[in-house]
Amino acid sequence: MKVTYKWLKEYVNINCSPEELAEKLTKSGFEVEEMFYQNQYLHDVVVGKILKIEKHPQADRLVVCQVDIGDKTTQIITAATNVFEGAVVPVSLPGANLVNGINIQPTKMRGVESNGMFCSGHELGIDENYFEGAGVDGILILPNDMKIGQPIEKALALDDVVLDVYITPNRPDCLSVIGIAREVAAILGESVKKVNLNYPIDIYSKDTIHDYIDVDNQTENCPRYCMGAVTNVKIERSPLWMRARLNAVGIKPINTIVDITNYVLVEMGQPLHAFDQSLINDSKIIVRQAKDGEEIEVLNGFSYKLDEKDIVIADKDKPMVIAGIIGGTNSCINNDTKTCVIESAVFDLKSIRTSSRKFGIRTDSSARNEKGINLANAEVGLSRALSLVSKLNCGKVVRGIIDKARDKNEKRVLNGSITHINEILGVEIPTSKISQILNSLEIENKIVGDKIECIIPPYRQDIENDNDLAEEIIRLYGYDVYDKTDNVLFKNSPITESVVNKKYSLERTFRNALVEKGFYEIMTFSFGSNDFVKKMLLNDDRANPIKISNPLGENFAYMRTTMANSLFSTAVYNLSVGNKEMRIFECAKVFKAKELPLKELPEETNILGMYVCENGFDFFNLKNVFESLLIKISDKLKLKRSSEPYLHPGISADIFINGEKVGCFGKVHPLVCKNYELPNESFYGELNTSLLSTLPEKKIVLKQVSKYPNVERDLAVVVDEEIEVGQMLDAIKSACGNLFFDVSLFDVYRNESLGVNKKSLAFNIILSDLNKTLTDEEINKTVNKVLKSLQFRFGAVLR
Amino acid sequence: MEKELMKIKDEVATSISSISDKKELIELKLQILGKSGKLTNLLKGMRDVPAEDRPRVGALVNEVRNFIENAISEKEKYFADIELQNKLNNEKVDITLPSKGIKTGALHPVSSMIDRFVDICVNLGFSVVEGPEIESDYYNFEAVNTPKSHPARDMQDSFYFTDNILLRTQTTAVQARAMQEMKPPFKIIVPGKTYRNDSDATHSPMFNQLEGLVVDENVSMADLKNLLSVMMKRLFGEDTKIRFRPSYFPFTEPSIEVDVSCPQCHGEGCKLCKGSGYLELLGAGVVNPKVLDFNGINSKKYKGFAFGFGIDRASMLFTGNTDMRSLFKNDIRFLKQSR
Repeated sequence: MKVTYKWLKEYVNINCSPEELAEKLTKSGFEVEEMFYQNQYLHDVVVGKILKIEKHPQADRLVVCQVDIGDKTTQIITAATNVFEGAVVPVSLPGANLVNGINIQPTKMRGVESNGMFCSGHELGIDENYFEGAGVDGILILPNDMKIGQPIEKALALDDVVLDVYITPNRPDCLSVIGIAREVAAILGESVKKVNLNYPIDIYSKDTIHDYIDVDNQTENCPRYCMGAVTNVKIERSPLWMRARLNAVGIKPINTIVDITNYVLVEMGQPLHAFDQSLINDSKIIVRQAKDGEEIEVLNGFSYKLDEKDIVIADKDKPMVIAGIIGGTNSCINNDTKTCVIESAVFDLKSIRTSSRKFGIRTDSSARNEKGINLANAEVGLSRALSLVSKLNCGKVVRGIIDKARDKNEKRVLNGSITHINEILGVEIPTSKISQILNSLEIENKIVGDKIECIIPPYRQDIENDNDLAEEIIRLYGYDVYDKTDNVLFKNSPITESVVNKKYSLERTFRNALVEKGFYEIMTFSFGSNDFVKKMLLNDDRANPIKISNPLGENFAYMRTTMANSLFSTAVYNLSVGNKEMRIFECAKVFKAKELPLKELPEETNILGMYVCENGFDFFNLKNVFESLLIKISDKLKLKRSSEPYLHPGISADIFINGEKVGCFGKVHPLVCKNYELPNESFYGELNTSLLSTLPEKKIVLKQVSKYPNVERDLAVVVDEEIEVGQMLDAIKSACGNLFFDVSLFDVYRNESLGVNKKSLAFNIILSDLNKTLTDEEINKTVNKVLKSLQFRFGAVLR
Repeated sequence: MEKELMKIKDEVATSISSISDKKELIELKLQILGKSGKLTNLLKGMRDVPAEDRPRVGALVNEVRNFIENAISEKEKYFADIELQNKLNNEKVDITLPSKGIKTGALHPVSSMIDRFVDICVNLGFSVVEGPEIESDYYNFEAVNTPKSHPARDMQDSFYFTDNILLRTQTTAVQARAMQEMKPPFKIIVPGKTYRNDSDATHSPMFNQLEGLVVDENVSMADLKNLLSVMMKRLFGEDTKIRFRPSYFPFTEPSIEVDVSCPQCHGEGCKLCKGSGYLELLGAGVVNPKVLDFNGINSKKYKGFAFGFGIDRASMLFTGNTDMRSLFKNDIRFLKQSR
């Protein structure tokens, strides 16, 4: 919300600088986001009069002008062609810095001295709407009666300071100069001056409003509709002071009537709409819901198709306004308007909001209407507009107004508790201070003991309970009070026990472990394009990602169903910037719909995904990573050949714990590598941390180790190529029985001499007995048992 | 005999000091103490010493022998030391050569910030609670006092799937879930991803929030101030100060913005804080009683306060990073810096 310093001063005595005011507003909850001095680029620019024009002796296109700048005459050379002797013009003198970046210095042009420059409207930052002549291609020619030598900011009324105030959604009443003025008054301990709502009526005229217009309010969605009429309308440029205010807050001045409606919108926060009365058929306004399919062309140049949810202001034949949002072209004020009627209404904010969103139209009116306007404001806004009509002398106000009110806001009584308010704030604020603050906000109040009775003005719909009162009090009392309070933590509350979040803790353990293993954690968007489905050869439910209906673009439209795509894409990006080797991981959610389109919230699963491409890194390095992560969770990992479509079928595994698949890892499928343009030696793996965190905690049982030395035996056997070592290791373990301590594979050897499709495996078996040193006999017996078992189950032959 | 002994002693004393290597020392040892060494030979004449002189001569023999043995062993140790020293000198490596083995990676700057903050909160009795990222309009808005067409919905542009299902715009959604599920008193901290339809150097369509909620019988704005004060000190350093400014959120009343003294200049004013000495970091406030009641907590009995902030922004302030987008590009060269 833009307001100006001078506009506020019209309603409150302000005895501090704009900067101080901005700071005070910010501290009380009205953050001044930006402050702008209109005269920032206008210093050293004055009104001058060209006394004499002579040809430049050295240049055909230049003329030498003698210019009266008030206290003296100076010489200025110009190439402008629209100047003439006697012309009053803006003159920028040495030292001026114009808005377009030009710095004025005394200079010589082709040997002749020039001490300044004449300015165009553009160079002063104004246009034709603001000031006549400002839009011409050439120098701005000012009216003859302007005082020579006066600063241009005074002459053009560009000497105000604009404050752009952020209005929080709970304070729609402050989307107005008067609203902010009320706050300023409360902050400064001043009171708000009365707005002039008076206008003279022609006492000799018998006409009343009913001779010009009738209103039929047919919709529930318009709780109040007021209308006034003005005859003998003069459509012309409004006076400079009004244009200056509108221009300062960023509204284009147009003509008297339109400017008045905009002026009231900014000043009172009341959107108005003016109609040309002659364009309203039967002189009857109908406020109603739109008919399905009804069309209207509006002032932004577009046509819109309406439906029953929109409200329109219509006559018997046509809709004329999309209510509260934008006016139509068929009935608006124009240069021939002789009689106008002015609407000041309140509409249902939800309806306005819905329509404004649907059409994508946001106007100063809709912005206020959709936040809610207090019902009393409609009448006040209309009176203010009519008083301005009389002030501008741009028409004759007709006696009486129409006021179709379904509802009128009344002042409300709110009962509160001083103790409760102080409990909320945690500080004792003296009751006298509480009373004073509320009074300054025009909240009448009476304090008896602990009870406080408040009368809430109608424009403060946001104040409903003690918390709201507490906020009003503390924001004006000042939050600095907490700088002086003690620093005891949770003085009046019991200790709460922190409950461990298993998933977060598990992920954190994994993440830290991976960092130690050389991995970098990444963070990617949860949505992306759906091309991963094809690239990853997905054919299960992961091939149907959930789609965002209003995405940033097709490349950000689909929720991920797998972490692998995020890791692959990040790898591709890193490769493209020259990072050839990497170990990366991410812990995040994947999303799977139970049905599409979504009827209920989808399933969200936390997945830890990791990707490696690194010289010499292979399946078994990756296996090691997974083993070391999972050792904390279970000793009973089971690996099966993976069925993941994006992994190499021969070099990948699914991991099972207690029969549930908790993850997978392996070499990335060569086709997938090709699709992504990843190197062939790419490895990926993932763990379902949502699932893992539900598993029972691993119980560690410590058994005694033997005090007698272990016995080691090496055993080399030849088996068929297909035989899996894992099963043989299990077989060895069980064959060793009680004496088993450990077994490891230490060599794999392949040679023609072993036979076709054969491999030799060498195992190191460690036996141990808790109670004695093992004898050769016992050892040999056990090794024989192992050998027999391997022969029987795997066709192993001793080498 | 005694003269002879003294002579040998003197001889050893003289020659040992001039010995310059281990070999000469071995020779000397042999010459004196060997099987046919001088001292050995001399001692063979002990039996000729008259009995009454024997104790005296014996004592002298011991003294001389001890002297010689000590001298030699000292010298031996001296040579061994030199030898070891030489050996060590020759084994010297270039300690600036690169290390072997896996080079440590790094956590993402945002998640490590989350971890830091979670640790702070957990130590203060908070539990970590999470909620769904695809959320219902009910929890994301309605249950936190932002019904449909509430003007505050303008503050956030949401990504929708259907009219009632969206990507959560705020971790506040979890507040409502927690209030419905947990029994007061409780303190929770909610880290998580949030999404808004917005993208530029300071806004990312996906970002991370941390939200804290305390519900108890006797908590106030003053407790909020004290708690945040401690938390921000632990996060940014002991000299960190905070200040409150009034603001508005539908779910808190009173609502405040919390400024934190600039971690770069400690309040002096610098480029990062645009000279103000403070940075806007958190939104907070006393839980709106409407929110408590809506979610089944009796606002007559219980009060609460809540705070939340953008963790990406906090991490940026912490690390001097100026472009939020760099956090989600995941260039390893960038990430390496946070090792």
